[in-house]
Amino acid sequence: MTYSVLLLSVCFILGGLAVASNPSPYYGVVGLVLASVVGCGWLLSLGVSFVSLVLFMVYLGGMLVVFVYSVSLAADPFPEAWGDWRVMGYGAGFALVLTAGVVVGDFVEWWKFGAVTVDSGGMFSVRLDFSGVAMFYSYGVGMFLVAGWGLLLTLFVVLELVRGLSCGALRAV
Amino acid sequence: MSPLHLSFYSAFTLSSLGLAFHRTHLVSALLCLESMMLSMYIALSIWPVENQATSSTLMPVLMLTFSACEAGTGLAMLVASTRTHGSDHLHNLNLLQC
Repeated sequence: MTYSVLLLSVCFILGGLAVASNPSPYYGVVGLVLASVVGCGWLLSLGVSFVSLVLFMVYLGGMLVVFVYSVSLAADPFPEAWGDWRVMGYGAGFALVLTAGVVVGDFVEWWKFGAVTVDSGGMFSVRLDFSGVAMFYSYGVGMFLVAGWGLLLTLFVVLELVRGLSCGALRAV
Repeated sequence: MSPLHLSFYSAFTLSSLGLAFHRTHLVSALLCLESMMLSMYIALSIWPVENQATSSTLMPVLMLTFSACEAGTGLAMLVASTRTHGSDHLHNLNLLQC
């Protein structure tokens, strides 16, 4: 069980590297999908299934779908994937900087290896994450309303940003 | 720092490096920003599991809400840039003429 969590964490870093090396956006989304699927699997292995499913539905099913069809605005005649030397150079440079930082910084305690997974916590009738997020409606109702108001405000912000014809915020055309 | 904490810490660092050293497209920078949000979500979700602090579980959900707002605003700016300049290349954003 420990080694599958290690594999998930390594794949998470690889997904982040795939996005950071800035290929053509069609391929960058692949790295982001990989990182979020692997992150969901990691949270599932720890036992918090509710926040994992929230990540799946809201992030993968909501935000990334919108990103994928917005990526059609970024069409290249010759898209650069990870086989291109420019993208590989960026990726290798970032990996080198990160490795140098970890080695020189010396703040990773490599003996602290192992993950507390769902099997080591015992049986509860109400699980940790369900009851925690349910506090949104009882003690966290103030932030709940603020978040809902912020989402409504974002709709109007987006409307004003893309309105053109010289009455919008950005566009003079 | 345990090695599992290192993984989302380094994913965050890699994404912020990718945001800083962006190349051609605005969408690539927005994707790096989304990747930073993802690593922060994982970090905030793991913390209540390790410390058995149940009420902190609502923090990643709240963060995801505000990151959805930010992603929507970023994509609106992408659409505005594409409609004005015809592409989302970052060298089009050059009001500073020096």
